[in-house]
Amino acid sequence: MEATKAFFNKLRDNDIYKQWFKSPLTYVAGAVLLSVFQIITLAVTGNPWGVSGVFANWGAWAYEAIGGSVDKWYYFSSTGAQNTLDAGILNHAGTMRNLGIVVGALFATLMASQFKIKKIKSKKQVVAAVLGGLLMGYGARIAFGCNIGALYSGISSLSLSGWVFAIGMFGGAVVGSKLLVKYFM
Amino acid sequence: MNEVVIDCLGEACPVPLVKAQNKLKEIGLGDVLIVQIDHSCAMKNVPEWARKDGHNVEVEEVDDGEWEVIIEKVK
Repeated sequence: MEATKAFFNKLRDNDIYKQWFKSPLTYVAGAVLLSVFQIITLAVTGNPWGVSGVFANWGAWAYEAIGGSVDKWYYFSSTGAQNTLDAGILNHAGTMRNLGIVVGALFATLMASQFKIKKIKSKKQVVAAVLGGLLMGYGARIAFGCNIGALYSGISSLSLSGWVFAIGMFGGAVVGSKLLVKYFM
Repeated sequence: MNEVVIDCLGEACPVPLVKAQNKLKEIGLGDVLIVQIDHSCAMKNVPEWARKDGHNVEVEEVDDGEWEVIIEKVK
């Protein structure tokens, strides 16, 4: 017991541990890593990186699991979307990637010894989170992408739509910031 | 010298930063502002802003995933 404690105390002050697991990466390092991995994603899966579209598929699979059908839904009406749904969740690259993000983030925070279950501070936070989540989720679907799929992947594949999305998002962020300062300060 | 503590535990960016900026305007020269946070990105942006503004800043890890950013107002 004493020995383990001494080991972890020593590890805590170890420079290599601090550099690799404790201190955050610089913004540049993060940007370079994200770029490299999104290129790998495009090369390996044939699709640009996206995050929120996966949630719509999860919803569809959950709905099908309780006996529903999304065959007639416009969003899932294309052959591609139907094939993805038919192939199932275990063969879905996006699902694996999203789970990887969750597991990776958990691993990183555990390695840095920074894991904490945060308390909910007020009812206002809950209302804002639910409303914000619904608006973002709905918006991302009718825009056929979120800030990753439509903005990041759009711009990085030289599509004009990414820039149009950026203008809309900038406007939304201005309004959102005003609301934040008004209701959360 | 006064010490002012603001509790930003459970609050996400950019709330801790804006709260710290507002509070720092209110306190006097030489006073110390302690911002309690448990959001790791605030651990980056709150000290960054305060240092850029020219104040003395220290970050203390008080518990797993919990920090205190200690800012001494110097100007």
